[in-house]
Formats: sequence, structure tokens, C-alpha cells
Amino acid sequence: MLTAKKPNLESLTSINPDGSRYFLHPADVHGKYTLWRRLFGAGLLAVYVLLPWIPVGGHPAIFFNLAELRFHFFGLTFFAEDLWIGFFLLTGLGFGLFYVTALFGRLWCGWACPYTVFLEHVYRRIERFIDGDSLARRKLDTARWNGEKIFKRLLKHGLFILISLLIAHVFISYFVSLPRLYEYMQQSPLNHAKAFGVMVFLTGSLYFSFSWFREQFCIILCPYGRIQSTLTDDDTIVIGYDEGRGEPRGKKSDPGTGDCIACNRCVQVCPTGIDIRNGLQLECIGCANCIDACNQVMDKTGRPRGLIRYDSSRGLAGKRTRFWRPRIALYTALMCLGIAVLGGFLTGLRSAKIELIRMPGQPFYVDDHEVRNQLRLHLATKQSQATRFRISVSDLPDGAVVSGIEDAVILEPGEETMKTVLIRMPVERYTGRFQVTFQARVSPGDFAISDSIEFLGPSAYTLE
Amino acid sequence: MSKNDDLPDDVTLRDHEYDGIQEYDQKLPNWWLFTFYITIVWFVVAWLAYYQLPIHLPDDHERLNGRLALIEERKRTELEGMLASLTNESLREMSENPQHTAAGRAVYEAKCLACHGPDLSATLNGAPLPGVPLDDNEWKYGSTPLDIMNIVTNGSPDVTKGMIPWKSQLSGSEIAQVVSYILNHQPQ
Repeated sequence: MLTAKKPNLESLTSINPDGSRYFLHPADVHGKYTLWRRLFGAGLLAVYVLLPWIPVGGHPAIFFNLAELRFHFFGLTFFAEDLWIGFFLLTGLGFGLFYVTALFGRLWCGWACPYTVFLEHVYRRIERFIDGDSLARRKLDTARWNGEKIFKRLLKHGLFILISLLIAHVFISYFVSLPRLYEYMQQSPLNHAKAFGVMVFLTGSLYFSFSWFREQFCIILCPYGRIQSTLTDDDTIVIGYDEGRGEPRGKKSDPGTGDCIACNRCVQVCPTGIDIRNGLQLECIGCANCIDACNQVMDKTGRPRGLIRYDSSRGLAGKRTRFWRPRIALYTALMCLGIAVLGGFLTGLRSAKIELIRMPGQPFYVDDHEVRNQLRLHLATKQSQATRFRISVSDLPDGAVVSGIEDAVILEPGEETMKTVLIRMPVERYTGRFQVTFQARVSPGDFAISDSIEFLGPSAYTLE
Repeated sequence: MSKNDDLPDDVTLRDHEYDGIQEYDQKLPNWWLFTFYITIVWFVVAWLAYYQLPIHLPDDHERLNGRLALIEERKRTELEGMLASLTNESLREMSENPQHTAAGRAVYEAKCLACHGPDLSATLNGAPLPGVPLDDNEWKYGSTPLDIMNIVTNGSPDVTKGMIPWKSQLSGSEIAQVVSYILNHQPQ
């Protein structure tokens, strides 16, 4: 079947009436948006690959160190205990996405989503290179198996698997340090069965997704794609067709026709197989291919560009696009709140820790002379250099003596320690419980951290 | 089936109508149905394996408890083997071996120091700690190396206070090492 299917609003182009798959072969497209999208995609690919390689503050820029349960993010180090901040990060990203969607529709999908970046700028480029343009690809699909087809299929799928292997390794290098990953790669898979299993699973998933599944993910599975229709409204900037200008469609020579010459270029270049002239549809990932395709045709016919363009539904209907809508105000407020909360927590986050723990067992000891409390002082550093803690005790009532702390404790990078600390209070001066605060001045960084604990003792009644 | 004329050839509208809303009669993607068939196959396999066939597949709890029991069992046999092989003499010999006492020191500093003090005197900068001094050749519950070993392993005979049993936290060899470290610090 060499004539392409005609898209409609009622069913998916990529699924045949019998439920089988109809493979889309988007035609080549050139233009402003395609160029920018490719450059942006190349930049993103570079970022994905390079992040584990660029060291910031002694660690890779982004590194989820699974072996030691540490997370390095552009010089900041998070321990497992800081995981709760991830909640704000995720909700923040969520609200950010709401915001972008309300303003610009599925901008994320077409331009920045890793799935699209890999599919459009890596896998489809390889396919285009080996199998040729849209028509050649469709011919090859229906062609009988012969030497050429076998060779091309082997080459294409071989390269797909190779690229999938590469991406899987890049992904793992976010979790396992590069030298260790390199070490793993030189050893028998059985030595690191789990990491190897993850790698095989990832490679398989990537290969399956980008060689076969493709747009099905964006159309049917992706949750973001599914909620977008609740986030957009008539003022959201989407990719749309200017019906007023385009209709009725027809040849340029025919009088009374609109600007659309029914050339079907916008349909041929669509990676999800829709006809944008039917209006905004759930399949649209906002890739702007149809804009470039249509602009080229408009240039050729000598008509102004922008028959298909980035605009809101209201804008396309000739009205003014409103920026401020209740939802934008709400999303702005939520995003600012999120940023403020996250910022507050991040600035409050310290690269060292002090903690007072009561020794298990008896909470206090009393003899004829004194009341004693035994504590453990837990110090830990998250810094990547030797860290110095200068410890002082405040709020100490007259007569109380602290023993067991040194003036300065120096910890190696990432180290932690437990010190035994004893607080003594002469019986005659003991009047009841009191609060003790241990403070540590930490350098490098020169900041103070502290923790308090209650000094326990018998009730005054027992002492008399 | 009133408005079917507007619909593409392949698409049909179902007759059922509710509040003026009708549904298309379209097939699900085959790949989607396939994921459903996998769950059916999986159900049959799980149903047979867990409920019908006389094989017992452990659940997560049993697996976890099994692993824990295995660890406990290994620790117990190691400890028993250690206790059976140790004599007062071999412990004394160990206490002369710097390698053993160094290992014992590490255990001591991690576990015992809090109550018995950094120098085994049960004091910290002159202040008394809860433990008994271990540097004075005085023993509350028997003075042979095996007695000391027993106290560390099983805790104080007086269960209301004093030393806790360490056998759940330390391995047999760690206990032997820490005992050799203590023996090494007795005044001659």
C-alpha cells in the first residue's frame, strides 16, 4: 500500500481497523523550526552524555551514587536522609510542567522530552540514512525479502541495538561511577549480574521503544500526554491551522479558494499521523514539522507564511490571546510557592551534621556526689574534603561539667564518628532537668550547626 | 446509527446511547491486547504455582525471615565453633598477637568504649562511666579468659543491670579479639 492513509478525528492513523499497527513514515522536512529543534536536540544529547563526565566539586555534575547512597547534584551532596527534598523537586518540576503546558501546550514533548530527542534526532536519522526518504521506506517495507532488504534491515537494527547499548550505558553511568562502570564492562557479566541485568533490560526497552513502539508511547502511554488536555485552554499557544485563511481548500488557480492548496504536506511530515487541519488533537506532540512544511509551500505559492503556526485557539479564530487567565495565576502562584519552599530548604541544608543521642540503658546515673548523663555525639560530614568541627557547649548551668569532647574534630571526606560524652552535675546544685546545646563550627564552609538534648536526673523530691 | 454518513469508512458508531452520547466501535491496538493476554498467562502460571501444584513458593516475608534465620544460624555455628576451639591458653596466646589485639581494639572502640572508657579504666577525663574497669585484674564473674569471653557473649548474669549480651552484634571471632585486647591490657 503505497498511498498513505488519510487521517481522521475518529481513529488513530497508526492503528489499522483490525488493531494491527500502521507504520508511519514521516516525510523529510526543512525549515526554521526543524533546524532549531535539531540544534536543541543535539545540545540535549550532549548534556545527557556529558553530565556524568563533567566533575563539579570533585564529583560528576549529576551522580546518584547507589553504592554509597549519595546524590551529587552540581556540587551539592545529598545523603539518603535528605531524600525528602526530592518531594519538592518532583512537585516543583510537576508544577513547572503545568505552567509550561498551560502557556505553550506540548512544547516539552516536541522539543525537550528525551523520548522525542532520541527518536527524532538519533533513531529516525539512522533510519533515514539507511532506508532513504519516506517513499523509499514505505517501498522497502512492502518489498519482498531480497539481499538488499536483508542487508538494510540487519544494518539498521544492528545500529539501533548498538545505539541502545550506548544509551543504556550512559544511563547506568548516572548511578554507577564511570571508572567502576568501565571495570564492570571488562569483567564477566556474572560478576555484576544485577547491573548487567539492568543494562540488558534497558537496552531491550530502548530498542523496542525506538525501533517499533515509537509514537504509540506518546499517544497512548505517556501520562503527561494524557493530562495535558486538562491543562490547556483556548488561550494556550499550540500548533494550529488558520481555518479562516485556509478554507475552502483548492488549487491556487481556482477562484474563491483559501490559502490551503490541499497538498497534504502537513500530513506527510507528521510523526504521529494526524491532519493538523482537523484542529488540536491528543496525538499532537507539538513538533512543528507541519509548520515548516506548510511555510515552504506558502513560500512556493507566494502566500504569506503562518497558515499553520504557533498560536492559541482564540488567536487562530482571529481574536486576541489572553496571557493572564485564572489558571496561569494559580500555576504561577504554585510554582513560586514551590521555588520558595525548595529554596528555603536548600539554603537550610548543611554539608555537615551534629546529633546528640542518649546512651541506651539507664537514662542517668546518681551517686552521693553527682548526677551523670551519658550521651553519644554523632558527627558526620558530607563534604568532599577533610572537615573540621570546633565544638562548644552552651546553656550549661553553673556547676555542670562536660567531658569527652575535644575542641576540634577532623573528619575525612564523607566520614562520620561517634564520640562518648559525659555531662556531670554535682548533686547539691542539681535543681531539675535542663537543656544542653552542643554547637559545632564547621570549616570549610564556616557555618554553625547545633543540636540540643535534655539533661535528665531524679526528681527534686528523691534528692531530698 | 444516524450520523454514520459523516464517519470514515472504517469507523462505526455503536447503537447504545446514553444522554445523547454514543461510543465508537473500534478495536484496541493489538499490542495493547497482547499486554492483557500476558496478564492472563501470568495469572494461570501464578495460580498453578501458588495454589494448585504441590510446590511451595516462599513469599517475601518467608524469604526475608529465611535469610535472617540463615544469618543467625551461620553466626551461631561460627560462635559455637569458636567457643569449642578456644581454651584459656589459646586466648592468652591470642592476647600476645598484635594482629589480634589490634582487631580487638577496633571492636572495643566501636562497642565497649562508651561504658568502659578509652583507656579501659571506666572513666572519661576522670569522670566515672557506667562500666566496670577492665585494667585492674579484678573480675566480678570469674577471671579466666573463657569466663570473660562468656560475659561478653552472654552478658551479665544479673539481667537487671550491667553488661548486655553481645552475641547478636559481634561475631565469635570479634568477641575473641576484643577479649584478647582486654587480656593484653591487664597489669602483669
